[in-house]
Amino acid sequence: MVLRQRPRLLAAPAAAAACALLLLGPAGLATSAAAATPSSTSGKTLRVAMDSSGVDTLNPFTAYFNGSYDIFGAIYPTLTVIGQDGRPNPYLATSWSMSSDHLTWTFKIRKGLKWSDGQPLTAADAAWTLNLIMTNEVAGTANGTLVSNFSSVTAPDPTTLVIRTKQPQSNLTYISTPVYSIPIVPEHIWKSHVADLKNYKNDSFPVVGYGPWQLTGYKTDQYATLDANKSFVLGAPKYDHLIEQLYKNSDSAVAALRSGQLDYIEGVNATEYSSLKHASGVTTTQSAGNGWTGLELNPGAKTRSGKSIGTGNPALTDPTLRRAIALSIDKQTLVTKVIDGYGSVGQGYLPPAWPEWVWKPSAGEEQTYDPAKANQLLDQAGYKRGANGIRINPKNGKPLALRLGIHSDDSYDAAISPYVAGWLKAIGVKVEIDPMSMTALNSDLGKGDWDMLMDAWTNGPDPTYMLGIQSCTTLPDDQGNGGNTDAFFCNPAYEKLLSQQQTQFVPAQRAKTVDQMEKILYDADVDLMFYNKTMLTATSSKVTGMNTGTPDAKDVYPAQSSFWSYLKATPKAGDSGSSSSNVGLWVGIAAAVVVVGAGVTVVRRRSGADDRE
Amino acid sequence: MSSPATVAGPALEPPAAATRRPRTARMPWARYVAGKLAAAVVSFAVTLVIGFVLFNMMPSDPVRTMTRGRPVSQAELVRLRVQLGLDKPVWQRFLDFVNDTLHGRLGYSWEYQRSVASLTMSRIGPTLLLMGTSFVISVLLGLWLGQRSGWRAGSLFDRITSSTALTLWSVPTFWLGMILLMVCSVGIGPIHGFLPAGGMSDPSLPQSGLRHYVDVARHLVLPALTMILVVYAQYVTIMRSSIIEEIGSPYLLTARAKGLTDDNVRRRHAVPNALLPSVTMIFMHLGTLISGAVTVEAVFSWPGLGDLTYEALKIPDLPLLQGTFIVFSASVILMNLLADLAYRFLDPRVRAQ
Amino acid sequence: MSAAQVLSSQEVAAAVPARFAGVRRFARAFRHRPSGVAGLAVLLLFSLLALVAPLFIGQDQLDVTKVDGPLLSAPSGHYPLGTDQAGRNVLLLLIWGSRESLRIGIIATALTVVIGAGIGIVAGHYGGWVGRALMHVTDWFIALPSLPLAISLAAVLGQGETSITIAIAATSWTATARLVRAQTLAVEARPFVERARALGAGDWQIMVRQVLPNVTPLILVSSTLTVAGALLSEATLTFLGLGNPASITWGEMLNNAFFNGAFTADAWWYLLPPGLAILVVVLGFTLTGRAVEHVLDPRTEDRS
Repeated sequence: MVLRQRPRLLAAPAAAAACALLLLGPAGLATSAAAATPSSTSGKTLRVAMDSSGVDTLNPFTAYFNGSYDIFGAIYPTLTVIGQDGRPNPYLATSWSMSSDHLTWTFKIRKGLKWSDGQPLTAADAAWTLNLIMTNEVAGTANGTLVSNFSSVTAPDPTTLVIRTKQPQSNLTYISTPVYSIPIVPEHIWKSHVADLKNYKNDSFPVVGYGPWQLTGYKTDQYATLDANKSFVLGAPKYDHLIEQLYKNSDSAVAALRSGQLDYIEGVNATEYSSLKHASGVTTTQSAGNGWTGLELNPGAKTRSGKSIGTGNPALTDPTLRRAIALSIDKQTLVTKVIDGYGSVGQGYLPPAWPEWVWKPSAGEEQTYDPAKANQLLDQAGYKRGANGIRINPKNGKPLALRLGIHSDDSYDAAISPYVAGWLKAIGVKVEIDPMSMTALNSDLGKGDWDMLMDAWTNGPDPTYMLGIQSCTTLPDDQGNGGNTDAFFCNPAYEKLLSQQQTQFVPAQRAKTVDQMEKILYDADVDLMFYNKTMLTATSSKVTGMNTGTPDAKDVYPAQSSFWSYLKATPKAGDSGSSSSNVGLWVGIAAAVVVVGAGVTVVRRRSGADDRE
Repeated sequence: MSSPATVAGPALEPPAAATRRPRTARMPWARYVAGKLAAAVVSFAVTLVIGFVLFNMMPSDPVRTMTRGRPVSQAELVRLRVQLGLDKPVWQRFLDFVNDTLHGRLGYSWEYQRSVASLTMSRIGPTLLLMGTSFVISVLLGLWLGQRSGWRAGSLFDRITSSTALTLWSVPTFWLGMILLMVCSVGIGPIHGFLPAGGMSDPSLPQSGLRHYVDVARHLVLPALTMILVVYAQYVTIMRSSIIEEIGSPYLLTARAKGLTDDNVRRRHAVPNALLPSVTMIFMHLGTLISGAVTVEAVFSWPGLGDLTYEALKIPDLPLLQGTFIVFSASVILMNLLADLAYRFLDPRVRAQ
Repeated sequence: MSAAQVLSSQEVAAAVPARFAGVRRFARAFRHRPSGVAGLAVLLLFSLLALVAPLFIGQDQLDVTKVDGPLLSAPSGHYPLGTDQAGRNVLLLLIWGSRESLRIGIIATALTVVIGAGIGIVAGHYGGWVGRALMHVTDWFIALPSLPLAISLAAVLGQGETSITIAIAATSWTATARLVRAQTLAVEARPFVERARALGAGDWQIMVRQVLPNVTPLILVSSTLTVAGALLSEATLTFLGLGNPASITWGEMLNNAFFNGAFTADAWWYLLPPGLAILVVVLGFTLTGRAVEHVLDPRTEDRS
């Protein structure tokens, strides 16, 4: 339209703008490159894929993401460390004891340790860190609940830490472990940042800390670089450098692994694992999974005071219907088809990674796939099939149609939901799959506006929190606020056991109580466990020793922790580390030439245009 | 499709005096700039309103998403909601939002717990590098191919060029990226992957110096190639039709009559004259480039604004999404404004005054 | 490349000749454009496949609980395009996907045309402040980068086809509006409109009886190109995770392939077909649209 009428003018604007862009590019590049401190590149480097959640912040007081905690585990010390037995073992604390009233704990702290800047690392640092979390609202952001039962934390001398609790607390030795809970930070560094803790990014490299590694650089959403601490008290890392690189797509990470740009990936998906099993130069291992995938059924959402809220289908308040749904789901098929067999059918609420808490139903109590029985249960309960095969709720005469909320960004949810819909159809329940973003789903969850939700959790070695989200105290108030309940479960017997296990200090006794709680959950059919998938890892054959423990009969290792894996990783003899391929280098040079050439051409064009006028 | 002549719209220009000369030529420079600036400001204001309305329509509870997997108490959840301003009424949030935006604050990211402004600033560099490189190369390639095939419209060269361009334009950008990734990076069959699978640099290399630049260039190859392949097609089409428009012009006849060779007529006369309209159109199509950046950066994990948008989308981190939306819109408005001003500045009739 | 850009040089479109003679002449001219014929043939083929798909594809072959194929296996006699991660036949998914993808593309285009033509005609007819205001709104929307806007819209409206359709329409109506406005201005300048006005026709009558029939050919051309754009947008938005993972569209297939390890498994049979299908159909719409455009207005028919 405009072409014909427009006056003919110079070509210069385009050329000028193009040049500007060309100049801006490298400038932008320079600014972004400035963030990372170049670390010395001599020595051997272990390159691992960062946890796909990434790093939200390097401030250990306000971070939530697993990627952050992997780094904190590497660069900050903790009181204890979870050993291969899944229990707390000595780290900063060499031993600990409890008073006879179960309220006072005394930790003996190692002597002679120094922060990476040479300052002494003592019990005072631990006391300061824990006190800050107890007293400062911002410092309590991520881990405040772990210390909420503390009445005081003191360090009477550099090697003694005393913690007093208000009530007995059986999980006390779990509150400061690498990767899972509170990292101890150096008081002399952090003291001056307390006032502005919320905005402090902790990004002056190298970061002062103590651990197997020291953080030397971090680029948001790209990678973190770390150097080994060769005098680390639990043994020196075998590598000199550690790089954690973030890949948004696990296929990209696998590609990098295969082409030698990466040494280790934890958490490849089933399809990738199957094809990597036969790839040369790659070792694959399975280890016990620390999470479950399942389905929540809305048992009738109620507030703390017992008021019903939300739009959940009232039919689901009937335990018979919930049991029928549980029986109609073929969990073994989900294991076989969705996760290619890398996992086990879910039963107990706590995952196989922490064998101490694993519970299995006894032979007669197992809920196995049995659609005939499910149909029979529903027939007996008066749910008659309508003309289209959909059953009618006898209480209100409405057809049984349930919404199934799934996380739209989760490929497992997407893969599982059609199966669930298919199986429920077979027992006369219509399912409407409703993909939602995480925030929308959580919003509906909290308000009780749901029938069925796909759910998945992972948890650390201490079950306190996971057990807690099934407690009546996590229900929302009458306005629908303040809750962090998992599925509006509330059961008085469960409640009693929950407080009981908190005061049991003999692990076996506590485990027994926890088992009873898991049985209550299993029988309630509110959280249906589908499967516990195993953790799938792929390691370059140039690295050994990354897996700790010995595999079981199914060739599944015990749960792995990045803390131990990175510490134990050993380069294979004769491997000089990796170098990028030469083809790539030449392609890079060619690309640079093209860019420069293009720039030159633009400039020449412009001068030509000027001549013409 | 807008053009510099219409972006401002009549309302912001003085009533046309009866004159044969174009209005723009009579308008004082300052007034012209002021008009264009005002239009850009209004556009930006509308963008802000649209942005706010969009992102406050949705019920969402980011707090549980943010804290997922951490043992966070209920009191802490409540405190977080207050901190994020989720407890305030909408009108108050809008006032806060306008105030914040005018002060250069773009809100507070739920996911990263950092100010959106600092997050976006840190991502602008890589995006400029990727878009700048792809833009320059695709414009040059598109213009060159376009003028060649337009000059010899109907020739074999033209037919090959045009159909290739049309085909590549019909390819979904992300899919092309996936295929390139599969072939060049993962490797397929006998081909071994020889380019990095994503990111912008190899962290095991020093992050400065020549080696670093070459490394970045290597990482740039695939994303830039994907963008160029998809984007250059429209530049071919634009330039081709401009040249075809020129072909019938009398001044070309004159040039030929002077005895210039065909090549010289094309290079010296037809191309320069066809360039300006084409270039104007190209600037009007910068939006396409931005769209491309989102998908390409997502596929190749290129740490730019598009990738940030994609990250924000997963949660969705509404303040961050709103922030990138505002930044993208502002950059398009700014580019259009610059194109307008440059156009006026370079108009020979105006300069002659 | 938007519809408007392709059409830009024919702002003043051809007059619309008397109905039947026009159709015949149109068909004859169209036949002389092989690329257009090829494009149309592709479209007819895919539409046919989409329409008859339910005759030979049962829900049982798409229901993951019923299929029993091998998981993600390479093409074989029984599965010409291999299987997906759940053991479904990729060829059947591809054919079924054409239904959903085309439906979204066409509904989004219909919405686009209704909004765009409505605003364009009103703006062109009324002129004055109404027209100016409408064109201002259009300009603002043009200034917004379409993909980020569509992403934001779809994210806010929630997952699924409906919100994707709305997002596409909301970001692509501007081109149609501008075109139609220009054409409306041209039509209203013609004597027969003035005659109608003199005979007492109201605004509504003029817009519906006089202007609309005369801008329809232009709308048709621009809509074929809009469908092409809408298909690409659908695929992109779905790929970015805004679609319904439980439905079967080409974009959803690519999303599944990309995020579930199809690369590592070298599952080219799962990655290539949906992309190629999008490519072919988009090309089909574009070629058809361009051919129609050239036939309606031979001036764009340069010297090729």
